[in-house]
Amino acid sequence: MLEEPKKIIIDTDPGVDDAMAIFLALQSPEVEVIGLTTIYGNVYTALATRNALHLLEIAGRTDIPVAEGSHVTITKGTKLRIADFVHGTDGLGNQNFPPPKGKPIELSAADFLIQQASCYPGKVTVVALGPLTNIALAIQSDPHFVKNIQQIVVLGGAFAVNGNVNPAAEANIFGDPDAADVVFTSGADVLAVGINVTHQVFFTDADRDKLAESSGKYAQYLCKILDVYYSYHHDAYSTKGVYLHDPTALLAAVTPSLITYTEGVVRVQTTGITRGLTLFYNKQKRFGEVTEWSDKPSVKVAVTVDAPAVVNLVMERLTNS
Amino acid sequence: MSNSRVVNGGCANGLVMADALAEDFANSGAMKRHKLIIDTDPGIDDSMAILMAFQSPDLDILGLTTIYGNVTTEGATRNALLLCEIAGYPGVPVAEGSPGPLKGGEPCIADFVHGSDGLGNIFLPPPKSKKIEKSASEFLVDKVSEYPGEVSILALGPLTNLALAVKRDSSFASKVKRIVILGGAFFALGNVNPAAESNIYCDPEAADVVFTSGANVDVVGINITTQVKMTDAAFDELRQSHGKHAQFVCDICKFYRDWHVKSDGVYGIFLHDPVSFVALVRPDLFTYKKGVVRVETQGISAGHTLMDQGLKKWNSSNPWTGHSPISVAWTVDADEVLNYVMKSLMKP
Repeated sequence: MLEEPKKIIIDTDPGVDDAMAIFLALQSPEVEVIGLTTIYGNVYTALATRNALHLLEIAGRTDIPVAEGSHVTITKGTKLRIADFVHGTDGLGNQNFPPPKGKPIELSAADFLIQQASCYPGKVTVVALGPLTNIALAIQSDPHFVKNIQQIVVLGGAFAVNGNVNPAAEANIFGDPDAADVVFTSGADVLAVGINVTHQVFFTDADRDKLAESSGKYAQYLCKILDVYYSYHHDAYSTKGVYLHDPTALLAAVTPSLITYTEGVVRVQTTGITRGLTLFYNKQKRFGEVTEWSDKPSVKVAVTVDAPAVVNLVMERLTNS
Repeated sequence: MSNSRVVNGGCANGLVMADALAEDFANSGAMKRHKLIIDTDPGIDDSMAILMAFQSPDLDILGLTTIYGNVTTEGATRNALLLCEIAGYPGVPVAEGSPGPLKGGEPCIADFVHGSDGLGNIFLPPPKSKKIEKSASEFLVDKVSEYPGEVSILALGPLTNLALAVKRDSSFASKVKRIVILGGAFFALGNVNPAAESNIYCDPEAADVVFTSGANVDVVGINITTQVKMTDAAFDELRQSHGKHAQFVCDICKFYRDWHVKSDGVYGIFLHDPVSFVALVRPDLFTYKKGVVRVETQGISAGHTLMDQGLKKWNSSNPWTGHSPISVAWTVDADEVLNYVMKSLMKP
């Protein structure tokens, strides 16, 4: 008996590792990608939309709709940090690909999320690979969204480790801390995969060579765009390889058994020098007074990952394409 | 891409064994006693640490400075005077500190942890001795200038007095020998709320001033101190011993112990202040990591201590860049620290 594939929407800011994750999703029989929604982060939202359309054209999957997301944070912030030094000015390793032929759908990302969740209640998982603005907007504009959505897998946060934007904050949460706090306290089934987990999943120079040797179309494409991403990691972390942030979060949705998680309340600091800090409370210790964590719904926070299995799956699915 | 331009805290990281310091302490007993000021809010576990300090022949306790936290500052002064009397050193100066945090407003008082008298509701009669005229920050500045490079400070409460000393005298940070601080929760849950440890939470602005002052700071967070528990069995052992202060310590700890059962399900107590005292005299029982520590002063995480571990080269400056790194206690030999505490408290 074949199980019905899990419907997923990827909310994304492509992004080199976003591209890997999107291709990986398209190569995964466990899931059916029913749409991409776009967001700022690695690039501006308009470029994220362009890149999302481009990646689907590369994949020959122009049947999948792309809905453009918010250009600003939920507090209408526009001073957004764009990580061109990580992903290149075009977000895809400075390859300057020709513009895509396709166009985004009329619906906004938030409206598309709401529509799909209500069409298939309990059957749609969102894999959020960028700042959480679109998801927070969906939660705020539709009171049923939290109940309709099956799960929200969030690539974001730094749990009990330093961030990657600054010592306090991870990039996706830093991009819209207010939105992240809305999502984490919404009561939805949220699984947060933080950099404490994704930093365990390392794709080495040798892995890239292996990818380059394969004739898989995704492997070939990705090898072209990976250079900038590799040299950023080399400079920032003195490592010979890259972290597979987005592919790890995607696979956590595709094959949940690859990770273990704990449950508790997550709040996000929205002001001050630690803006974007994710703070997890396991509900074990009792405090003298009511805290900002008291009486908030729990979310799942990934703790361990089977890193070799993730790397194997990434390699296998991207080379056999 | 300007990654290579930025120096992150300017320091090499990694585990630093403080052997030299331990040796320094071990060898010096005969020659010269170490000058120490204890900034404290006694406080049940403060009392333990203070009595341990007075039992250490290596230490020359120049004075106690008081602060709110476990009790009011006024209550802390009364208890500090009482503890000097109990220890047999009624002449040691006690300088009263700030009644509240730097930014003003009400001080936080943990009477539900330490009792309304700060000593587990044993309600001792008032002390015979009196506090000195000088304020805590004046006393700190004066002693540190009198003996530059010689005075260590053990800070067991909110850091208001130390921040005032840093602000009062721009040479304080460079003249003080070492400041050992009980405070913070590094990559761990706080004890006031999930974000913050009590001492830092009570005056986050002051803590940020001290951590970024450039002084030689060792900080011992509750991620370390909660690894060292004194269990009910250990209390039985202590009560049956001939320790000079064994009965007193057991008496004041009852209230504290009952709160631990309620709050953490621990049948015993965490030795926060005694562990920090051990970090002062036996740093070899700990390992440390160096990094810049900043304190959040706003929002739901006010009081959160955040250390840059230096694992990444930041591509632009951030609130951690440009500050001096401090030593953050990273691991502890919990068994040996507990041994040290028990031995010290059981000393006749």
